[in-house]
Amino acid sequence: MANITCSSIVKSYGDYPVIDGLNLDIPDHEFVVFLGPSGCGKSTMLRMIAGLETVTGGRIEIGGTDVTDLPPGDRGVAMVFQSYALYPHMSVADNITFGLRRQGLPKAEIAPRLTQVADMLGLAPFLDRRPKNLSGGQQQRVAMARAMIKTPKVFLFDEPLSNLDAKLREKLRTEIRKMHLQLKTTTIFVTHDQLEAMTIADRIVLMRDGAIEQMGTPDEIFERPASHFVADFIGTPAMNFIDATIEPGHVARSGSIALSLSRDLFPGLRPGQKVELGLRPASMDLVEPGAPNAIAGRVVLVENMGAEGQVITEVDGREISFVTAQFRRVKPGDAVRFALRPDQIHAFDPVSGRSLLGA
Amino acid sequence: MGRIISATLTRALLALLIVVALGPILWTVLGAFKELRDIVTPVPKLIFDPTLDNFATILRNPTIRDGLLHSAVVVSVSVLIGAVLGIPAAHTLARHARRYGDDVQFFVLSLRFMPPVAIAIPFIVIYLDLGIYDTLFGLILVYLVTTISTVIWLAVPAFDRVPRDIEEAAAMEGCSPLEVFWRFSLPVAAPSLFGAIVFTFVLVWNELLLALTLAAQNATLPVVAASITSLGKEVPWGVINAATVVLVVPPLVFIGLLMGLLNTSVQGGRK
Ligand SMILES: Nc1ncnc2c1ncn2[C@@H]1O[C@H](COP(=O)(O)OP(=O)(O)OP(=O)(O)O)[C@@H](O)[C@H]1O
Ligand SMILES: [Mg+2]
Repeated sequence: MANITCSSIVKSYGDYPVIDGLNLDIPDHEFVVFLGPSGCGKSTMLRMIAGLETVTGGRIEIGGTDVTDLPPGDRGVAMVFQSYALYPHMSVADNITFGLRRQGLPKAEIAPRLTQVADMLGLAPFLDRRPKNLSGGQQQRVAMARAMIKTPKVFLFDEPLSNLDAKLREKLRTEIRKMHLQLKTTTIFVTHDQLEAMTIADRIVLMRDGAIEQMGTPDEIFERPASHFVADFIGTPAMNFIDATIEPGHVARSGSIALSLSRDLFPGLRPGQKVELGLRPASMDLVEPGAPNAIAGRVVLVENMGAEGQVITEVDGREISFVTAQFRRVKPGDAVRFALRPDQIHAFDPVSGRSLLGA
Repeated sequence: MGRIISATLTRALLALLIVVALGPILWTVLGAFKELRDIVTPVPKLIFDPTLDNFATILRNPTIRDGLLHSAVVVSVSVLIGAVLGIPAAHTLARHARRYGDDVQFFVLSLRFMPPVAIAIPFIVIYLDLGIYDTLFGLILVYLVTTISTVIWLAVPAFDRVPRDIEEAAAMEGCSPLEVFWRFSLPVAAPSLFGAIVFTFVLVWNELLLALTLAAQNATLPVVAASITSLGKEVPWGVINAATVVLVVPPLVFIGLLMGLLNTSVQGGRK
């Protein structure tokens, strides 16, 4: 087990830097998720930590040892690939134990460890099979067992669940999380699925174009997004964004919408200042007439999501959506009023996109 | 019902194809065990007294015996060296020099564009000068051009099909590049490589033209077999059939051996 320190990491293919001066500190025992849109450099970063990709510049330390120039096998890390990468010419048991056998561990020591991980992951009935005779979920477990049995200092997962169906994905996600609670091995998990990231992570590293946009616990990222990009990326349904102008009394106005903002959260706002408001659909709900901070709109569409529904409304010619449990009461064409608390309103600089929290 | 009919038809068609494909071979094999009068009867005979005379004639004939030996030596050495040099080269091309891979692939293929006749004459001159004309070494040397290039050409796609992730996973377990190649890339690609080697083997085993021009005393089996067919009017059909069988059996034995090796090497991965 170990902490991971990446300092000023640069990675270029040709002249074009894919990762540009990235700094990252991961404490021991932490479960960190790299999250971001496709092509932002998550896999590249993970593969550099694994040693499968050389760094163009910067240093990587694992557990206080500089591993920048070590081959992958000497870094004490184990990786689970998106494609599982099981060895097709070996049985499941041989797949799992290959690393230990290669290190020359005695059979008597390998056997109990194999039994232990196989039991933990429910693989005991399949040990003699070839990987191609297993289902996707079983193959994925073999890949995890192969990583676990070596008791590495660090686990790396590159989108390990993306080839599975939704139900199995949820199940394995829980298993991975449980496994981490038990083993407490420092883990980096790459995904582009924000829900997966929110549910599994101790801490999320949200990446964009090869740089870290924000790093924090799922709650921090969700409740205090550092930028428009983060706010837009996290949360379903996606956040509503409205350009507004600050008026005296700490009120943001945009057409018929007037929302009073929290003075504690946004002490620096001045009348006349342009801001971009961020309103989460999930933090708004239907209100009675006369309620404060309400927005009046006309229902365009109601989307049933089971326990709740997303109501898409038209306000001053643009669409704003909110989520309510009482969605069955409204239908397209209805006039509705919905509101949210001032402390749930996000405000961003319309030019830089940075959050105006505390500014 | 329709399913049964279509299945039956499919089987019948397959059976017909097999008969068409194997018929001549079967007839040749039968002919090899017949006496001449059983072969030349107007009514083909399926039941006859088998004889080993034809094989005896063949194997007692020193030219044919030597031809068999020469072929075995020349072909096995050139295929072996071709595989030992060509397979690692193909892996390197597929993995580490992909940029040049296509060009090299084309170059290697282009070696086979040249009609052998075109190189045969210059080779005679060069070989006479070097003093390796009519030697097994000389034959092996030209055949190496064929075996190495054919093995590379067929093995690059075989390694392309080995998932890169598997090699990376092996590297993560501490395997050196050589170990990754030996214990993972090679066994995973083995079934395709097997095809490449068999193809190469058959290619040089049947090679006639270069063998004819570059060797005289040290003729290989195809050269000898070709010369039997021009023995005159009294065609010894039985002997020719036996010679054909002798020519065909070694590649089959070779394929069998390789299959066995393949099976054990795949098992070997599990130790
Ligand atoms: N071998 C390579 N040569 C050139 N560019 C590359 C190479 N590998 C990756 N890239 C580029 O690096 C960038 C980051 O790629 P990376 O695979 O890390 O993205 P990612 O965040 O993992 O995306 P995804 O979610 O789609 O897996 C991409 O723009 C990609 O085009
Ligand atoms: Mg990726």
